[in-house]
Amino acid sequence: MYNRIIRKTRYRSLEASERMAGIVFAIPSLIGFLLFIAGPILFVFAMSVIRINLMDNSFTYVGFRYFQNLIEDGDFRKAFWNTFTYLVIYVPLTLLLGLGMALILNAKLYFRGIIRTFFIIPYVTTYIATLVVWNVFLHPTQGPVNQLLMSWGLNPPQYMIDIHWALPVLAVIGSWKDVGFHCLLFLAALQGVPRDLHEAASIDGASPLRRFWHVTFPLISPTSFFLLLITIIGGLQAFYQMALLTKGGPSFSTTTLTYLIYRTAFEYNNFTYASAVGVVLFAITVVLVAVNWIGQKKWVFYQ
Amino acid sequence: MTATETFRWTKLGKSLFFLAVGLIFVTPLIWMLSTSLKYESQVFETPFVFVHWDNINWSNYEYLLTESPFLTWLGNSLLVTVVSVIFRLLFAAVSGYAFGYLRFPGSGVVFAIYLMTLFVPYQLYLLPQFVAYRLLGILDTHWALILPNIVDVLSVFFLRQFYMTFPRDFVHAAYLEGCGVFKSFFRIVLPLSYTPLLTLGILSFFMIWDQYYQPLIFLKSSELFTLPLGLHSFQTQYGHEYAKQMALACLAIIPVLTVFLILQKRFVESLISTGIKG
Repeated sequence: MYNRIIRKTRYRSLEASERMAGIVFAIPSLIGFLLFIAGPILFVFAMSVIRINLMDNSFTYVGFRYFQNLIEDGDFRKAFWNTFTYLVIYVPLTLLLGLGMALILNAKLYFRGIIRTFFIIPYVTTYIATLVVWNVFLHPTQGPVNQLLMSWGLNPPQYMIDIHWALPVLAVIGSWKDVGFHCLLFLAALQGVPRDLHEAASIDGASPLRRFWHVTFPLISPTSFFLLLITIIGGLQAFYQMALLTKGGPSFSTTTLTYLIYRTAFEYNNFTYASAVGVVLFAITVVLVAVNWIGQKKWVFYQ
Repeated sequence: MTATETFRWTKLGKSLFFLAVGLIFVTPLIWMLSTSLKYESQVFETPFVFVHWDNINWSNYEYLLTESPFLTWLGNSLLVTVVSVIFRLLFAAVSGYAFGYLRFPGSGVVFAIYLMTLFVPYQLYLLPQFVAYRLLGILDTHWALILPNIVDVLSVFFLRQFYMTFPRDFVHAAYLEGCGVFKSFFRIVLPLSYTPLLTLGILSFFMIWDQYYQPLIFLKSSELFTLPLGLHSFQTQYGHEYAKQMALACLAIIPVLTVFLILQKRFVESLISTGIKG
């Protein structure tokens, strides 16, 4: 009895001291978060209404003028639609491809390990290195892809130098690079689907397609939802392909919002404009995430 | 043929088909390897020859290893990545322990705020960071690359999840032995966190190795370039020397690919286990 009381008080004081220590443990985290994440986010809002002159480090308050100008700004509008087009191609393609690849890896096959390795290699290789390769691989006149197509008597597209093809090609390359991640996560979800459910549906005479739609898909819908969000956020931030392959061209056709931010900030030193675009990009992210968050009730099934 | 034999043959057929699909998927990388061993005049040759076995050109690699800044860039990449990963792990472990195990009053709310910032595009907070580093005079140093990498909300989240289910008995046993919270963390908890730390370390290694935006805006001197930026500048400078570019791309990929192939199993498992939480 006595012992128990001692232990209890000791535990209670332990919990109290753990909480105290918790604050101490959290201090570096809080400082880091304020300095490198929360601070910059707040500061970027400030930067979008304050003009910074990098030459003499002077600040002038300009108000919401930059946001108002964005609405009529041709560059911004074009970049907005380019970002949207990129998303419309990149998001469904990456998700469907990832799911398809996961279904392949989940089937009863030989060499599954090797196939899996092939599927994830682009995801783990250095992005810029693969872009340097794509640049030559899709060379409009001499590249191996077009040489092959021409040898078949086709008239192949000019890819990165064609204003209609450039953005879709960049989106496909983005998918190619990222899909390994989606494939692995879908695979994990598929492996969590109990086999007896499938067998039961099979005995009831459900076709493979119906089995997928009514048994498998509801069970992997939480993963699908998570991946949908990740893919939207990632797609909005796409930048590497534009920076290395097209520099936003030809004639602005691959300038997305992220590339616009980069160009205005670091080539034209206009941080106010870049910050305003950044704030809009952030707002778009929040809206898209919120819409999907609300929409998930219709199709995401939590066990 | 019996039924099982037919089954086996269809299975083999399907397997070979999907093996081919996988191979097509990585064709650009195979082509890269093949081209890196050719002379410039052979890059776009028709008919295509995979490797000229009797006349393999090693000079691209020789050139890169002796006359280009490749080794400097590789060193920079290794330095930035390794230092960033170590600090990131330490930071994430201490923070994760505070939010997942110790749980001070209000930790839930603070952590929810942390998570909300995951929606902010990273390009956004690099703008003020650029201005701040300029004022601090650390632009064009490796510090500008390492510092922002240390604080990573996703890593904190990952370790918080781990510490939430960490067995309290272990820690209490340490308390009974006379360890304080700090001593027990560094002596008992940290060594027992080996597995998630390694997983997080691998994932972070890949991510930081791949970074291109940060060096692009923070660095000017080519002797400080990391590999992705080095590759870009090399591509601009050697616009038409494609075989050399392919060799450099190969060299840039080899370190990460080696890490991946060695740790493939763990890497795959870790991705799978982190993903399930969504």
